[in-house]
Amino acid sequence: MAQKKTGKKVRMGSAAGWSRDRFEPATDLMNRGQVDYLCFDSMSEVTMSAAQVSRMETDRVPPYDPYLIPRMEPILKGCKEKGIKIITNQGWLDPEEAAQQVAALALKLGIKDLRVASVSGGILTNTIGTMNLNFIETNRPIADSLDTVVSAEAYLGAQGIVEALKGGADVVITTRIADACLYLGPLAYEFDWSFDDYQLMAKGMVIGHLMECGSQLSGGYFADPGYKNVPDLANVGNPIAEVTDDRVLFSKLSHSGGVVSEATCKEQLLYEVGDPANYICPDCVVDFTKVSFKQIDENLVEAFADQAGKPRTSTLKALVGLTEGFMTEEMVIFAGPGALERAKGTQDLLEQRFKKVALKATEIRFDYLGINGVHRESSPAPIHEPYEVILRVAVKTAERSEAEKIRREIDPLAVNGMSATGKWATSAPGSRVRPVVGLSSCLVPRDLIRSTVSFFK
Amino acid sequence: MKTIPLREVAHSRSGEKGNDSMVSVIAYDIGDYSVLLEQVTIEAVQALYGPITKGVIRRYEVPLIGALNFVMTDVLEGGRSRTLAFEESGKALSSLMLTMPLQMPDNYVGRSDALKRAA
Repeated sequence: MAQKKTGKKVRMGSAAGWSRDRFEPATDLMNRGQVDYLCFDSMSEVTMSAAQVSRMETDRVPPYDPYLIPRMEPILKGCKEKGIKIITNQGWLDPEEAAQQVAALALKLGIKDLRVASVSGGILTNTIGTMNLNFIETNRPIADSLDTVVSAEAYLGAQGIVEALKGGADVVITTRIADACLYLGPLAYEFDWSFDDYQLMAKGMVIGHLMECGSQLSGGYFADPGYKNVPDLANVGNPIAEVTDDRVLFSKLSHSGGVVSEATCKEQLLYEVGDPANYICPDCVVDFTKVSFKQIDENLVEAFADQAGKPRTSTLKALVGLTEGFMTEEMVIFAGPGALERAKGTQDLLEQRFKKVALKATEIRFDYLGINGVHRESSPAPIHEPYEVILRVAVKTAERSEAEKIRREIDPLAVNGMSATGKWATSAPGSRVRPVVGLSSCLVPRDLIRSTVSFFK
Repeated sequence: MKTIPLREVAHSRSGEKGNDSMVSVIAYDIGDYSVLLEQVTIEAVQALYGPITKGVIRRYEVPLIGALNFVMTDVLEGGRSRTLAFEESGKALSSLMLTMPLQMPDNYVGRSDALKRAA
């Protein structure tokens, strides 16, 4: 299918790559990015279930991204004045409530005629057990685990965003949609793409996939001094995608740190991708092996995606959060001669103590930070006796009271442990025990999911 | 021939989905893609990641950008939501890949020397 010629040029800035990303890129892109859209991704896989758990612990936590208002307040007026539209998935569990709050913020800031839209519909927490579905990981029926389900949400596609923009929205706040759809949505709206044209859907998803992680396209998460040098990482500029009928160009905020190169684009193209030839998205399947890049100028890369689309699947992926008990971790610190021996002796001591207090753990893990704390059992054996060793113990339990036993054995090491035992965060009050919400996934037939778009003045 | 680490030939980025980690291997010079195809095999990756990978390791080829993409399944002790691992995200796993020893011609100029010469 040939794409209709619109003569348009659409510039989109990646204002945030996850919920706790930096704040200033949004303001910088608004002021100096000459963008038409600012897009905020606020989700990782665990975001929704973690929010659900926080709300189980205290009702003072909002059902949407707690950074929503702090992110919108500095830019809402400027974006309206400049005609920059805002697309964000910070609506989380309740995009309508989030949109109402942003509409209220607009009133407070004296912004006239700001149209805020919400896109909801993917929350399946109360219905997932009745859909006769199995977990992908275990192939067991979800219905069997119903008493432990705390959250379930599907990854929606970009159609709700298009509908919101067609309805005149200045700000679109969504529940969980596939991250890259934050960019596909505006493109499909601006260029009037048909959702049945999967080549265009794929083009939008390639752009969105590259942009969704913020500065990971423009020098963030890239620097390896002496191998991959990145200038002025402290002031890394967030990426900008410029899309016309015929071309896709990636750059970054001018006068900023970082780098946009073929290498940064290639790393991000494959980031968190399984089979690159079959990247399954809500609105199409993308073949990333058809994508290539060409450096046009300094910090300017053109992307090419030839026939990279395949038809969408009949299902949408959903994540299901399951309560799985509690976990906690503690650390004990050693240095100097015999550090490793004293750390090992402390592990032995703790194992005896755990037996003595009849600790009921479902999983216990000891790590030696400085030796095997990161690559774990794949770490090479140390060549030299390490100068410092931190012994870390992490435990999972079914009952909270069992997990609380760990710190009661760690804190006494200050007087009952090995010589020169250093302590970590002993003055932090309260418990370090936290509930575990495990994430599993399933595929939900599309016709079981209804997306709703609402508007708030 | 000489033995040099993969870090001199390719760069890498890692991330996670569920309990799986994805680790890319991208040639600095696309001409070295054939080296990656021949030497960065599933067996060679197994030698590095085997002790922590409880599932299978899959390799995918992306020739247009001179890259391989690896998926290690069941490698994160349950995934970010469940893991007791200290590094819970898999984002630090790419640096393990870069330690892989490669056999390269004696006159091959690795990435670090190439950058020093260019400076």
